[in-house]
Amino acid sequence: MKNLFISFLLLLLSVTLSAQKQSTVISCHVNDVPFSEFCSLIAKQTSVKVFYQEKWINQLKVTLNADSITPLLAITQVLKGTGLEVSVWHGNLMVLPGEKLIPSLPSYITNTNTTANTEGGPDGLTESEEKYITGRQPNATQTILIGRKGASITGTKAKLSGRIMDEETGEPILYATIFIEETKTGAVSDANGFVSISLKPGMYNVQAEYQGYAKKKYQFDVLSDGNFTITMKKSFIQMQEVVVYGDRQMSMKLKDPGLEKLSVKAIRSIPMMLGERDILKVSQMLPGIVSVGEGSAGINVRGGSSDQNAFYLNKIPIYNTSHLFGFFPAFNSDIIKDFSVYKGLIPAKYGGRLSSVFNIVSRQGNRKRFMARGGISPISANIVLEGPIKKDVSSILISARSSYSDWMLQKIKDPVIRASNAAFSDFSASVNYDLSKTQISAFAYYSKDRFKLSDINEYEYSNGGVSLNFSHNYSSSLHAEYAIIGSKYSFTTIDKQEVSSAYAHTYNIGQLEARADFDHATGDKNTLEYGADIIYYALDRGTINPYGAASLRLPVKLGEEQAYESSLYISDNYDLLPWLNVSAGIRYSMFTPTGPKTVYTYRPDAEMIAENVTDSIVFGNNKPIKWYGSPQIRAAVNMETDPNGSIKISFSQMSQNLFMLNNTISISPNTQWKLADYHIAPSNSNQLSLGVFRTTRKGFLESSLEVFYKYTTDYPEFKDGADFLNNPNLETAILQGTQKAYGIEFFLKRSSKKLEGWLSYTYSRSIVQVDGGEDWNSINGGISYPANHDIPHSLNLVLSYHITRRLIFSSIVTYQTGKPVTYPVSVYYIEGLPYLDYSARNAYRIPDYFRTDASLTIEGNLKKRKLLHSSIILSAYNVTGRQNPYTVFFKTDNGNIYSYQYSVIGVPIFTITWLFKLGNYATD
Amino acid sequence: MLLIRLTLIFLLLPLIFTACIKSYQPEITGSDVSKYVVSGQITNLNSIQTVTISMTSSINELEAIPVTGCTVIISDDQGHEFPMIYSENGNYTGQIDQQYLIPGNSFKVDILTSDGDKIVSDYDHLSSSPAIDSIYFIRKDLSTADPSKPLKGIQFYIDLKGDVTDSKFYRFEVFETWEYHSEYPVEWFFAGKIQRAQPADYSLSICWSTFRINNIYALTTGKLSENKYKLFPLNFVDNRTDRLVYGYSLLVNQYSLSEDAYIYWNQLRINSTSQGGLYERQPLAVKGNLRNLTHPDQEVLGFFGVSSVTTKRIFVRNVENLEMENTSRCAERPLLNPQFQLYNLDASFYPVYLKEDSAYNPTIILDKGCVDCRAYNGTTVKPDFWPW
Repeated sequence: MKNLFISFLLLLLSVTLSAQKQSTVISCHVNDVPFSEFCSLIAKQTSVKVFYQEKWINQLKVTLNADSITPLLAITQVLKGTGLEVSVWHGNLMVLPGEKLIPSLPSYITNTNTTANTEGGPDGLTESEEKYITGRQPNATQTILIGRKGASITGTKAKLSGRIMDEETGEPILYATIFIEETKTGAVSDANGFVSISLKPGMYNVQAEYQGYAKKKYQFDVLSDGNFTITMKKSFIQMQEVVVYGDRQMSMKLKDPGLEKLSVKAIRSIPMMLGERDILKVSQMLPGIVSVGEGSAGINVRGGSSDQNAFYLNKIPIYNTSHLFGFFPAFNSDIIKDFSVYKGLIPAKYGGRLSSVFNIVSRQGNRKRFMARGGISPISANIVLEGPIKKDVSSILISARSSYSDWMLQKIKDPVIRASNAAFSDFSASVNYDLSKTQISAFAYYSKDRFKLSDINEYEYSNGGVSLNFSHNYSSSLHAEYAIIGSKYSFTTIDKQEVSSAYAHTYNIGQLEARADFDHATGDKNTLEYGADIIYYALDRGTINPYGAASLRLPVKLGEEQAYESSLYISDNYDLLPWLNVSAGIRYSMFTPTGPKTVYTYRPDAEMIAENVTDSIVFGNNKPIKWYGSPQIRAAVNMETDPNGSIKISFSQMSQNLFMLNNTISISPNTQWKLADYHIAPSNSNQLSLGVFRTTRKGFLESSLEVFYKYTTDYPEFKDGADFLNNPNLETAILQGTQKAYGIEFFLKRSSKKLEGWLSYTYSRSIVQVDGGEDWNSINGGISYPANHDIPHSLNLVLSYHITRRLIFSSIVTYQTGKPVTYPVSVYYIEGLPYLDYSARNAYRIPDYFRTDASLTIEGNLKKRKLLHSSIILSAYNVTGRQNPYTVFFKTDNGNIYSYQYSVIGVPIFTITWLFKLGNYATD
Repeated sequence: MLLIRLTLIFLLLPLIFTACIKSYQPEITGSDVSKYVVSGQITNLNSIQTVTISMTSSINELEAIPVTGCTVIISDDQGHEFPMIYSENGNYTGQIDQQYLIPGNSFKVDILTSDGDKIVSDYDHLSSSPAIDSIYFIRKDLSTADPSKPLKGIQFYIDLKGDVTDSKFYRFEVFETWEYHSEYPVEWFFAGKIQRAQPADYSLSICWSTFRINNIYALTTGKLSENKYKLFPLNFVDNRTDRLVYGYSLLVNQYSLSEDAYIYWNQLRINSTSQGGLYERQPLAVKGNLRNLTHPDQEVLGFFGVSSVTTKRIFVRNVENLEMENTSRCAERPLLNPQFQLYNLDASFYPVYLKEDSAYNPTIILDKGCVDCRAYNGTTVKPDFWPW
């Protein structure tokens, strides 16, 4: 038997497999020819191969006269009486002595230690043999036996709990999909690779899929409740994976997986400014996500302001996602495994921000072997070390990155920048234990930036956190995840422009969170998600202290704040009809700012300014100042209109308790965050979106069209000339209004072709109105105005052309409407000098933004066995050298008015990235 | 097995990684709404006070549009009224005697325009201004785009030393005066024919120029522990002009302000010194302290304020460790075609100054300023305060 398998395997390796061709009829008129010759004849006519061992048939001569006979029938007739049997196997025919091949290979259990409820393995095969046969041959179908015979109750569905793992590294695969052909249902693995489905006992064809991995088919022989493990292998062409999801609920195929998936390879081939991969920059190529320009750290999602996005790195909130003013991402993209953006329906487990959740999950260390990888760029160097602690059970991954030189600043013409210096670093470590039903992981992250602007300013900021995660499968249908997260963001600014008023200011915000999330498959059509989480915020706005002996600065204590945010959520995902899926959830969150705090009260119906203070209220430690409760509904309906299309409607209510005090064009490194308090209420938003999704039959083209409307109340906006630095009572600088955002997003993606990429176009508006009815409580006279990040048109084209397997040309073309600006419209003279009078807020726009980038990736040869593989990426950022204005400003000089535009990058930037590693092309 | 992977990134042409600023003319539909602009700075410097009333003009046509025919009355919070009479260019002048200009008093202006619009200001509070403590300079090099060629010069500073009763808000007006010399005396010149003055006339050789420095200097000590300030930067004078060659003087008028006036002037300053940088705020319309009572929706620009003023003047000559570079503004051209370059000229260009060449013939044309220093906006009349 063993020999047989080996020999046909060898045969298999030499032939190409074909589809169901034995149904084609052939015409045979042979007389006494050897069996082998007969088989060649069939192969010639139909390309159906017949597999056999030479020694079984070397005596056999064939005589057959038939005009239209299928190959199967022909062979069956020929073999009559020989004791040999023929079976159909993957479109070809297989001859075996005395036995029929079952429709699939013998069932076997992968990793028997995790499939506890199954019966023993199949007859006569050792696991390694099976693995050899099935594992190395991607199209061989394994059968997985799940449950025990007789253990099932007739008529009910068995609950299956599975795990999808990477075959090479042993890491769980997140968000992989499995699809049951018979029931046309599917499921997606969670953050630990777990997946659960319900199936009636029986045989099923199951397909597991994940971007960057070879598609894998299995047969499930379901007997009763039980567990299974699926391993998947990285496809040769892929390296380690980063997946960028769009709005998951708005996805194409199944109920939940991503719309936009980008492999690391795709991201690497996208031209980047300094050769550094930055998934946040890549995400700006997707519909509905824009940034207001280079050197701008923030991004804007569906018309929301930049503080309305939550960034979580393994559940740790990241307040500043960039190094060096937005030119570098704050985390090493080599450690990122999964990256998802929720911008439409935000799952009930997330809250706290109005626009989006960027959920970034880091890789776990390799559980099989030690690895090191590193990179050196003109500015920074990074290293990632990983390996097993105990093979297949636990692993560790450490990454570190640091800038080593700021020589580039010395090359900049601007004398102030030239006299400046900058440095940044980040560090992360993760440890994972995987004890079949229980996973324990710990993750720590720290990043730091320092920037000294000549002898004028010094900035320093750091972001750090730790998360501890414990997840457990209580049963095949109930999965739980418990986490404790601590994080801290702080910055220090020193302003020494003028000695007498020089100051230093340190700000920090810390947060401690405990959460429990449950994933409960209550039936085959129903999945419940519920959980609770509590967050404690401690925010110290710091003290403005005099800097230097000559400073006369009066210390100003800006105050401390603390608050609790506790939330409960439950959501249900229900397959109402085969083509109709409904998910509905509610999240109730209570935000409670607490003392110690002294709160001023103001005269009613009067501006909140010092002159109108009537009284003060003192709140003791942990005494609630206000209770802001908000029930939030998250619901979506997903209708499959036909196998290639669906319509999805979603409604999300969000609440935000924390916002940024920022009235500069870009987010400056000393931007403070502020909690909702006695006077300033949390913002709330309602978003409705509707999308139509279509794929072509073979899946090469995907398209989507979505419209959304979002209305935000209690949107905080800052009074003209608001000063946050010296102001302990921010209610005097803030007014709350409404923000209205709406738009339409179009997305077209082509994949698995020589020319692939996508085109996204977004039309969206974001309009703010602050109208309290009086002059003092209105902005812009109470008239609505475009938000600073109101970018109506945004068009992105990302293309990759695979010239050969080793040569890829990529290009990005991006266009967006210029951002709104306030221009002077008239002039007046005071003491003989002209001054400018400005238009209504944001009544004009700066010129449109347009940029083209290009890159060429050259891979070394693709030999499977070699010591070193290297690839080179040549990339050019802003090929046309267009000077995209960042701001337009006006100066009056000697009675004349001059206008200028300021561009952050006005020239093409060329970089070469050289990547090399030990091992072949495919080795990760 | 340990697997190793390394990424190297090289940057080509790093020298050009730079931000840039260039001139840009946005298309602005100038406002067709004309607003009243009222500015008045009542001071205790002397008793003649001025209030200026004008209209805004569109950004596309810079002009001051004076408003005539208004009734303008300044009043204090003690019930005194001071009528202002139209003089010229939108200026309304009148007298407020020093006895009323006492710190602690507040003043406002009431205007009735010929269109019947009633405009009033808030009361502005007169606070005291201490004597100017000191004005001084520090020799400083400013770096330029070319690191090997810094801009050498002197940076002026002012120190403030007020006490608790003095204002915490100030504005400085800075005037510079300097002496400069023309390159040549009047000798050869053309006025219908080539003439020669003998002996050479040196009367147009020495001039003094006075300019107001058009920056807004606003200072507050409101956030400081004492009403003092050191090293508040004023203007920078470099060695590539003729300002520091023969003598330079700086006059500073220190205006005490109310807090509202400070906010107004500081916002004007921020708007007019925008550099367009990453972390700059958007400019905003600056609100003054005037309102149109007849048409409350019509904004009135400008500020009516009262200040105590103290002044100080300093003189600078022979700055140590600072050599002058190319300070001459004189340009010379060869006389190649007398017919065309001289005889065909309109008489309004006379006299055309000439210089003799090495053969003692007047074959070089001099720019007017090479001989007549008044051509560079100066006067040959020595200012009274000039010490040298």
